Amino acid sequence: MLETSERGGHPKLKDLVVEASRALSRLDADRLEELALSCQALNRALTDEDAETRAALAFEAKDATGDMAVFARVLEATRANLNVMSRLRELRAGRLEYREGGLGSGLLQTVAWQRTESAHGDN
Amino acid sequence: MGTINSALSIMSQALDADQQALNVVANNVANANTPGYTRETPDWQENQPITINGVSYGQGVTETGATSERDRVLESRLDQQQQLAAASGTRLTALDTLQALFTPASGSSSSTAGDIGSDITSFFNSFSSLEANPTDNALRQSVLSTAGTLAGDISNAAASLNSQRSALDQEAAGTTSQVNALTGAIAQLNQQIQTTSPDADAGTLEDQRQEDLSQLSQLIGINQITTKNNGLEITTTSGQLLVSEGTSYQMTTGMVNGVTDFFVNNRDITADLATGGGSLGGYLTARDTDIPGALSSLDQLAYSISTSVNKQNNAGTDYDGVEGNVANPANAALNIFSEPTAVAGSAASMSVVMTDPNQIAAAGAGDGTGDNSNAVAMYKLSSQLIVNGETPINYYSNFVTTLGATVSSVQTENTAQNASVTQLQTQNNALSGVNLNDEASSMTTLERSYQAASQVFTMLNNIMASALNLGDQTTVS
Repeated sequence: MLETSERGGHPKLKDLVVEASRALSRLDADRLEELALSCQALNRALTDEDAETRAALAFEAKDATGDMAVFARVLEATRANLNVMSRLRELRAGRLEYREGGLGSGLLQTVAWQRTESAHGDN
Repeated sequence: MGTINSALSIMSQALDADQQALNVVANNVANANTPGYTRETPDWQENQPITINGVSYGQGVTETGATSERDRVLESRLDQQQQLAAASGTRLTALDTLQALFTPASGSSSSTAGDIGSDITSFFNSFSSLEANPTDNALRQSVLSTAGTLAGDISNAAASLNSQRSALDQEAAGTTSQVNALTGAIAQLNQQIQTTSPDADAGTLEDQRQEDLSQLSQLIGINQITTKNNGLEITTTSGQLLVSEGTSYQMTTGMVNGVTDFFVNNRDITADLATGGGSLGGYLTARDTDIPGALSSLDQLAYSISTSVNKQNNAGTDYDGVEGNVANPANAALNIFSEPTAVAGSAASMSVVMTDPNQIAAAGAGDGTGDNSNAVAMYKLSSQLIVNGETPINYYSNFVTTLGATVSSVQTENTAQNASVTQLQTQNNALSGVNLNDEASSMTTLERSYQAASQVFTMLNNIMASALNLGDQTTVS
């Protein structure tokens, strides 16, 4: 549960940013989607805020600048990891397709065995 | 062949195979908490069917062994991120210690090395006080006292930096034996893997090798190159060979210019190791870049203040009517600080050599002892660009600010790299522990997390940009 700021019960910007970095570190997609909704709500609410509240928000924004830089770097690292994992998946999918029916690794043997079983139907 | 007997035989073989597969699963469960253990999956192989009169009769299935669910590309990426995280973590620890010398810790009013910024201000302000009453002995004593505090704090800070550098040097040298032990172990494992399991995953042996690689990645930056028969070559990030299949090349150390340098095959690889990563990279970056940079700034500050103040004092007349000697600063009669001969080392040797407050030349050259024109000139040094084109206080302030920015930047890098390591470990665990469907699910989680985080980032970024620019529309379309 995030602490609320003085701006009408909304969470503090800094806490939002820190929580987003943490959630992204542990790949908590559910939490990140909640935070996205929270940011949308905050964004909508800000249109009706008075000058005093907007000044408080400006102060919070300055306070959160460093954590935002951390969040940006974590996001960047995640994108790099996602690229690596996507390429790995393509590589593995390609290897399976190429070697299907052969007797290579355990995984490939499983594929070969399943096809044979289907052909004979007596195992 | 198609008899009840053959059917029973097939079933019996299937049960045997299942039993062996259960043994593999039991082994996985038993090793669930073993560091570095990679989950194994049983390999199944169909027995050769027998064909009689054109009809094939199946012969069941045999369990032929187990294969570890590993992916070397992912493990390699994980090792690489660990190297970066270890380097930035080690450097950050060193930088925190360095910063504490100049910045008061939270809740404290003074830093480890005193407050050099306030010392500079107090020292020059003491001349401002002397202007009003240039013959006052207490005010003259105050000038020497504030000079002593400034010189003491600067020289103490330099001594602390040198001492921290020595400590880092020892820490760095201490990793050598760990690196050598690990590269030696990896070379032995390479030999065993290449001999006993040249064409397949070597299971436990590869787990051990991966564990050693992971530990080595915490220490130094490495590249891994797979060779024939499941062998492995390891180099530093700049390509210096450390392990070539069954042979390891030991790292040695030697003192060069007062610090430890690192060698492999008589080649000095210190600079490569500093940029390569791992804790050794962090130690060396702090030892060879961060601390020398801070020392250099302090040296410049000490040199400029000492030479400028000495020169100005020698341009005046002291309380006893003695005039200074601007032409020969090293032997000038009215030096307040010890006169440095070079910038390097000025901070460590900064001290007050003047003991008699009467020698403070408040009066201008040729003026009476009641004159204050040189005291005014001394005070004005505080607002003149005497330190590398900056005033003394601005120079010091910029130095502290730059140091803080460096700490903040390394902190950001370290947090991001640790997050990346956590993510990759999650992915690696998903790969090692489950089937392809669950692996795909894990991948989907990664994609979802990235997309949601991107949305959060975009919205927060826009909200913050608008908030910092009051009066503009805040909502994100």
